Amino acid sequence: MSAVNPAFLDELEAYGENAGALCFNCGTCAAVCPLDGGHFPRKMIRYAQIGAVDRIREESRELWRCLHCGLCTQTCPRGANPGEVILTLKRLFAAEWRKS
Amino acid sequence: MSDLKQTASGGQPASGCPADEARIGVYICHCGGNISDHVDVEAVRERMEKMPGVTVSRTNMFMCSDPGQESIMEDLKSGLVNRVVVASCAPSLHETTFRAAIARAGGNPYQYEHANIREQVSWVHHGAPATDKATRLISAAAGKARLLTPLTPIRVEAQRRALVIGGGVAGMRAALDLAAQGVRTDLIELSPYLGGGLARLDKLAPHGEDAAGIVRELAGNILSDPLITTHCQARLTAFGGYVGKFSVEISPASRTARAQEAAPGAFVPGKGVLGPAQAPGAPERFDAGAVVMATGFSSYAPQKGEYGFGDNAEAVTLPRFIEELKNAQTAPDGMLRLGSRPVRSLAIIHCVGSRQIPGVHEEGPSGHLNEHCSRTCCAASINAALTVRKTFPATRVYELYRDIRTYGRGQEEMYAEASAEKVTFLRFDVESPPEVVRVNGQYPLEVRVRDELTFGENLELPVDLVVLATGMEPAPIRDLIDMLKLPVGADRFLLETHPKLRPVELPVAGVYLAGTCQAPMDAGEAANAASSAAAKAGALLRRGFVELDPFVAEVDPARCKGTGACVDACLNEGALRLQETEIGGEKVMRAVVTPALCLGCGACAAVCPEGAINVSGWTLEQYEAMVDMILSEAAFAVTADESVSASPEPAEAAV
Repeated sequence: MSAVNPAFLDELEAYGENAGALCFNCGTCAAVCPLDGGHFPRKMIRYAQIGAVDRIREESRELWRCLHCGLCTQTCPRGANPGEVILTLKRLFAAEWRKS
Repeated sequence: MSDLKQTASGGQPASGCPADEARIGVYICHCGGNISDHVDVEAVRERMEKMPGVTVSRTNMFMCSDPGQESIMEDLKSGLVNRVVVASCAPSLHETTFRAAIARAGGNPYQYEHANIREQVSWVHHGAPATDKATRLISAAAGKARLLTPLTPIRVEAQRRALVIGGGVAGMRAALDLAAQGVRTDLIELSPYLGGGLARLDKLAPHGEDAAGIVRELAGNILSDPLITTHCQARLTAFGGYVGKFSVEISPASRTARAQEAAPGAFVPGKGVLGPAQAPGAPERFDAGAVVMATGFSSYAPQKGEYGFGDNAEAVTLPRFIEELKNAQTAPDGMLRLGSRPVRSLAIIHCVGSRQIPGVHEEGPSGHLNEHCSRTCCAASINAALTVRKTFPATRVYELYRDIRTYGRGQEEMYAEASAEKVTFLRFDVESPPEVVRVNGQYPLEVRVRDELTFGENLELPVDLVVLATGMEPAPIRDLIDMLKLPVGADRFLLETHPKLRPVELPVAGVYLAGTCQAPMDAGEAANAASSAAAKAGALLRRGFVELDPFVAEVDPARCKGTGACVDACLNEGALRLQETEIGGEKVMRAVVTPALCLGCGACAAVCPEGAINVSGWTLEQYEAMVDMILSEAAFAVTADESVSASPEPAEAAV
């Protein structure tokens, strides 16, 4: 059991315009992503929506595997811009690293 | 050929004289291969041509096409035929097409018989047996056609007055549309208020119209229209008659619920516009030509313990929440407060009392499960969530859904807007619904959900409020269903005659459906259905009369002995009765039919010991002729020699 923290999306807005609020979890991005396996990038966006920042941190290596090919952003039916969400999360962790 | 001259000179329709010998035309349809791929249509035509009474037999690729109909009409006009048999698809598709063609040619549309050789033959049989079965069915039709007499439709005078039952958005829309067509209309409403379910709502999804404003406008127009009489706190207490002339009785209902302080015509928030109450005392009786059912819906009442309802003051229904939200004041901190209690976060649970599944959900006190989708709650929930997020941005909103069904114009955009406003959506499986638990923490309640969007993880939502998006159930109108003999679907809503072809009509002619008595609808859809119902009812009443098929019971006065067996067997009260008449100076009882009430079922014909009653167009004699022709080998005897197609029993055919 983990508690949901929707305020995380507000915090994330400091790192980019697209924090993933618009995503309705259809999974099209994961289907077209050239990276193998799992639910990337939808998984990261979903974790961001419910504020599961620990989960994102646990699996943050995946963020740096992203090729930024833009396929997910091109095909997203909701205009949620998944590629930008991944960049936003990268910026968050880069900022955390600098602070530490 | 002599037949030809006979009608050409007289200028009378060939079928006009019942003494005319039967000249049957048999018209066999290929149905573009649907029939002719399996039935040897030409062989059947040749067989039929040689049948007694048949003067011509023709085939056509599509008998329902203009050239197909023309061939029938030409034969009628020339006098070659005076009775028509069409062998094609099911009569429900084109029986009326061919009857109308006969009428256009000047014939009697009731000297017609239909043989279904598509659904009953070519779609289920193949080869020689198909051809032979088609032959037998058409022979039977021809056998009956020989005995068909000309009939005239029953003409019923129609009262130019309509009754609308229910004063919600559908009832008011229907009444206004009827009045606009010049039809005097009485609207009855059980409660003291006009407005129905709409009066309880706020800004409507998805475009934000003001519900109270719509109710005010409709009710204002109703109350000022000289053709509309409004009877609030009234109920229908008796109903009889038939289309064009229903006799209705309206009685005052109990007056406990009336708001004493409000003046008539005033809008009472959450209730509607106070309407004129039915005068106490004796019931009011009048005749109405048509009735519009606009009895609306009831909101599902959650069972105690369902998602914490009844056990926690913080668990409320969506209709209740919408009412409370209307009165909520904005605060500088941007937090929603209900009463003085701040709502830091709230969870809306979808599909409460809708889409229930046998074996998963428990039946409520009604003993029924609501297996239907209530259609409006997704948009209403998202609309409420959006209102909260925009007006009270410090309040967090969770939506727990099974499926989102934002189907109408603008609804999908509203759903996207709610996402953009950071409403958190979570999806649960019906087998593992969310739990609402009382906790001793910062928040009074916790919603625990296995979220399918987060790969089946168990999530906890701390909340101050749980809102249950309750669905729609049919209003409790058992008395009306029994009184008007209305059909009810498996979902307990009123059931239309046909969902596509006759969507606001009922099998009871002259009674129409408007709004949520038929199915869950939003206000726009209810108004749409109401306008349809009013247009149908208006079209019926403006003609001043109604024509009904003459397939009703007819008494042979020479044979009736007044046993009353038919009256006992009759299924529709009032269709048959015994009447005293004088025959040869003696007072006797004789059966009398009220044609407009007769269902044409034939129960009377089956029980009459004297054989004195028959259904016109379907007499026992005609049935016997059909049975004789089904068993007859006459059609096969002529074709066996020509070996067009194999008869099932060639030995017998040769005899």
